[in-house]
Amino acid sequence: MRASTRWCDAALGAMGSLAVLVLWEVMARWGGADPSIFPPPSIAVVTALHHVSIEDLLANTAISLQRIVLGFALGASLGVVLAVAGGWYHLLGNLLRPVVELLRPIPPLAWIPISIVWFGLGESSKVFVIFFAAFFPVFTNTWKGMSGIDPVLLRAGQTMDVSGPSLLFRVAVPAAMPDIATGLRISWGLSFGVLVAAELIAADFGLGHMIMNARELGQVDVIILGIVIIGIVNLVTDWAIALLIRRHLGNWHPT
Amino acid sequence: MTHLGIFVRRPQVQSLSFIVLLFAAWEVAADTELLRPYQFPAPSTIAAAAWETATVGFPEGVRLSTHALVTLRRVFEGFLLSTAVAIPLGLLIGWFPVLDRLTVPVITFGRSVATLSLLPLVIVWFGTGELSKVLLIAYGCFWVMLGNVIAGVKYINPVLIRAARTMETNGVELFTHVVLPAALPRIFAGARVSLGVGFMVIVGAEMIGTIRGLGALIMEARTYYRADISFVGMVALGVLGFGLAVALNWLERWLLPWNRGLEDIRR
Repeated sequence: MRASTRWCDAALGAMGSLAVLVLWEVMARWGGADPSIFPPPSIAVVTALHHVSIEDLLANTAISLQRIVLGFALGASLGVVLAVAGGWYHLLGNLLRPVVELLRPIPPLAWIPISIVWFGLGESSKVFVIFFAAFFPVFTNTWKGMSGIDPVLLRAGQTMDVSGPSLLFRVAVPAAMPDIATGLRISWGLSFGVLVAAELIAADFGLGHMIMNARELGQVDVIILGIVIIGIVNLVTDWAIALLIRRHLGNWHPT
Repeated sequence: MTHLGIFVRRPQVQSLSFIVLLFAAWEVAADTELLRPYQFPAPSTIAAAAWETATVGFPEGVRLSTHALVTLRRVFEGFLLSTAVAIPLGLLIGWFPVLDRLTVPVITFGRSVATLSLLPLVIVWFGTGELSKVLLIAYGCFWVMLGNVIAGVKYINPVLIRAARTMETNGVELFTHVVLPAALPRIFAGARVSLGVGFMVIVGAEMIGTIRGLGALIMEARTYYRADISFVGMVALGVLGFGLAVALNWLERWLLPWNRGLEDIRR
């Protein structure tokens, strides 16, 4: 019964997606639009692959992923470390929290121009902006997790003579893990959007640069292919992160 | 001595003095050129630049208030456009399970497409004018809003609907009196998040092909080596975003009084 409903869902979903593609194809083919501006999907994919080679696509995807992984790893790890330390040592927390709260409302993309001033047009300015975008959701969620720990857990730990750093790392941090995981996922999604923007505005390589460049060359098909690839990479990596989190982080919580 | 000890131990005192200390250190480091002034303009320089942008304007004649209003207007137009489409569509999809199953993959993919990756396409189709920016914001807001409206209808407590049916409430009345009010808290949550998304997207969208708007201000300032003005624009964006969040919170409490109990439980 359950397997059959899942099949039914998948079939309906596929039908829906197909309907959208057919609608687009029909509108583009018989709607009277210029195919170089509004190409039907069947033609867009074929001509796009004439304009860019598979190797270029892979190289651009690789460099985009490299930037995002580096920025995300730096931002997320700093976010976790600072929020855990600040949540545990109250003095540190009192000093850190207001500074973070002051910076948080500034949209991450607003840091692009200033990061260019600080780091030039190279890799580090892009990594810096992603670092900034990834930091805040991880910090605030970890903080929430640290301040929401059930005091009974900590007291139980203390009764069993667990104290100091081992209380922090064996009781407090695992208890805050579900919130940390939430922060990581939000951060990844945000980093992705920010990466594309940073590459659109100032970059020599990467998927964002590829589609902006295609605009200058008038290759709408390449733009469409690029958008779809960015979407797919985002979807796949988000799914992989969710899976990793479920396997390795939050597995002692029923959620 | 003990009084001082108690005073220093207050968290607010610690926080405030640390921030003051940071700003003072920044000021001193910039004034003594320990930090390069064109990269890290001193807080006093930024304050002067804020006054300059507020009165003279940057570029000359376009004041800070104009930039802020242009940005706000674009965000609101895009947000309203997305809401106008997302609410009816979401109510429909949420109410009919078949529609929901048909659209799940399309919605998942649409949400995964990075909004700003659509920028080059939108420019080709609609040029670099206002319409392109508003449409980009609308796209970004749309999926968040749609997801929340669908969830709002889908997860209504079925007891509410059955109760209404027992009292012979049907059709349009059921929708306007039961379904919509029950879904509104989630719709409002969606509105809040989607405005946040719109606010993020606009900054990127304004960095290309315009000189008006806060995103354009910080980008233009960089081109003229005026990092101080870039900072002014960033602070203005932060203040605006913060003010918007506070205003929405307040609006929600005022518009949706029946949700207050829920809100208190959640905290």
